[in-house]
Amino acid sequence: MNYDWSLWGLFILLGLATTLPRASFIVLGARAALPESLQKALRYAPAAALAAIVAPDIFVSGGELSLLSPRLAAAVAAVLAALLFRNPWLPFIAGMGVLWGLGHLLSG
Amino acid sequence: MSPSFRDGFREGFRAFLPLSVGLIPWALVTGLTMSGVGFTPLQAMGMNVIVFAGTAQLGTLPLIAAGAPVWLIVITAFVLNLRFIIFSAAIARGFHGVPAGARWLSGHLLTDGAFATCLEKMLSHPDPQWRLGYYLGPSLWSWLLWQVFAFCGVMAAGSIPRGWSLEFMATIALIVLLVPMARVRPMLVAALVGGGLAVALRGMPLRLGVIVAIIGGIAAGFAAERWHGKDLP
Repeated sequence: MNYDWSLWGLFILLGLATTLPRASFIVLGARAALPESLQKALRYAPAAALAAIVAPDIFVSGGELSLLSPRLAAAVAAVLAALLFRNPWLPFIAGMGVLWGLGHLLSG
Repeated sequence: MSPSFRDGFREGFRAFLPLSVGLIPWALVTGLTMSGVGFTPLQAMGMNVIVFAGTAQLGTLPLIAAGAPVWLIVITAFVLNLRFIIFSAAIARGFHGVPAGARWLSGHLLTDGAFATCLEKMLSHPDPQWRLGYYLGPSLWSWLLWQVFAFCGVMAAGSIPRGWSLEFMATIALIVLLVPMARVRPMLVAALVGGGLAVALRGMPLRLGVIVAIIGGIAAGFAAERWHGKDLP
């Protein structure tokens, strides 16, 4: 896939969407404070967002729900590796290994 | 640069050095994935320098590759970065007496690792110069490691064939981030509802389903916490 110059505009917007939350209170200092209930709710944002990005990647192929895909098997392998071992590389090795292995089996 | 700044810098760097090794696989994977979705090395390193946020980079790459609308990609990155508002609020007191320019730089460099390493000393040490040094030591080191090893990943990807679906490494990386979060019950609920809604609503126009799913997941997590009657640790 090729990208045009607008990609750089996107990077700048993404940079703002990163730096502004990070700098917010460090720059504002004592002039502002965050309500506690909002802080509590915000803690769930990363988990909800990560799952919302990952789930369609794993469970959907070609617009259809698919519960028997190499991607789902690879994701399960990665989850197990992350749950059972501390080695930071293992989920990648297990996940990509399963993805490639099943890909070869199914195509060959 | 005052001597107390240098003292703080050295001490912060020493405290963070062993932990910083954990950044290396992330930077490599991010580099590999940016190449995997078809960025040129220049584009990949451009993103790496401008955005400088592993989770936001890895989280938006599948959306960028799928041609999702710009606003959706930016909102997704923002949501993934919402935790930094909390970190920023928690550590803000440590920047009392630090000039505005240095605060902006510090804000830009705020990472999960720097926050976790520096928070306690930032709130307890009396000298603003020492505190700034103690914060910038780990932060600048993280920045350097992030750029160098992402570059290694970008370069390594060039020698790997396209058919190996390297872009799936972004999905795995997000799973690895998600798994420890989901060990806490309300977090697991937030993730299950967020993921389930995203799959169920995949037909919504403009990929709006992702945003609805994220909001639903946050609400579900919050509700589960109330239902459970227990706070997160």
